[in-house]
Amino acid sequence: MASTVIGAGITVEGEITTDEDVVVAGTVRGKLSAKESVTIEHGATVEADVSGGSLVVAGSLTGNVTANERVDLQSGARVIGNVKAARVTIADGAQFKGNVDMDV
Amino acid sequence: MAAPPSVIGRTTRVRGRITGEVDLDVQGFVDGEIAVGGDVTIDAHGMVGGGVRGRRLVVRGAVKGDLHGEEAIALEDGARVVGDVRAPRVAIAPGALVRGFVETGDGSGAPAKTSRAQPAARPAAAPPRVAPPAAKAHAVPAPSKPAEKSAPAAHAGNNAAASAGPRRPPPPVVPALKKAKGQIAKKKER
Repeated sequence: MASTVIGAGITVEGEITTDEDVVVAGTVRGKLSAKESVTIEHGATVEADVSGGSLVVAGSLTGNVTANERVDLQSGARVIGNVKAARVTIADGAQFKGNVDMDV
Repeated sequence: MAAPPSVIGRTTRVRGRITGEVDLDVQGFVDGEIAVGGDVTIDAHGMVGGGVRGRRLVVRGAVKGDLHGEEAIALEDGARVVGDVRAPRVAIAPGALVRGFVETGDGSGAPAKTSRAQPAARPAAAPPRVAPPAAKAHAVPAPSKPAEKSAPAAHAGNNAAASAGPRRPPPPVVPALKKAKGQIAKKKER
């Protein structure tokens, strides 16, 4: 259960900092810093640098991504930016343009 | 809208602006403005450092900024508001703290009860202020005539009250005295 939800129809312009899970179904512009999981749902638009424990993307994301654990780009995701995480998966059908850094 | 409700969680801090057309529940910090078309709830742990705009606002937490509700604002127990509060209906519950200007109604039109009560109180209070000095002024030269004059005004129907009412309240005490003297002087001449 996510404790912070940016629902569809909501736009946040600025910086979001949290220790909780975050679900984005709306729009975020700026910066998103979380310690737990971040979910960018299908239909969501994020134009921000995102950091978190783990990141699941099914929507549109433009910005650099850093995760402590993993980043999963699901089918239908559209990501432009660099991704840095220990584990990165890109599902078939996900669009992606950027560098991947998996701490090799 | 069937979207999941938007929540700014307890440990979440948003620095910036939140806009949208749906409901919003603030349990954490928002350093900035909130302007949504839906209802906004500022939880007991919620803190907002900026103006809040929404259809209906319910505040149990802290707000430093102006509140503007299109329909209603409810400041509940535990609410701390520093800023102006404007909505057609405003409810401030016991335990809520407010420092700022509170206005019910839509400004010009006065659909709310409280905004009617204030203008009603002022005209009621104003005539006595004007009347006593006039009565004193009249009392010395001619006790009987002012009594007759004030009596018709008091007993008068709507026409007399309407004509006399608008003239009396606007001038403050001193001009009222001057007018009374002038009237007396004319009476003396007659």
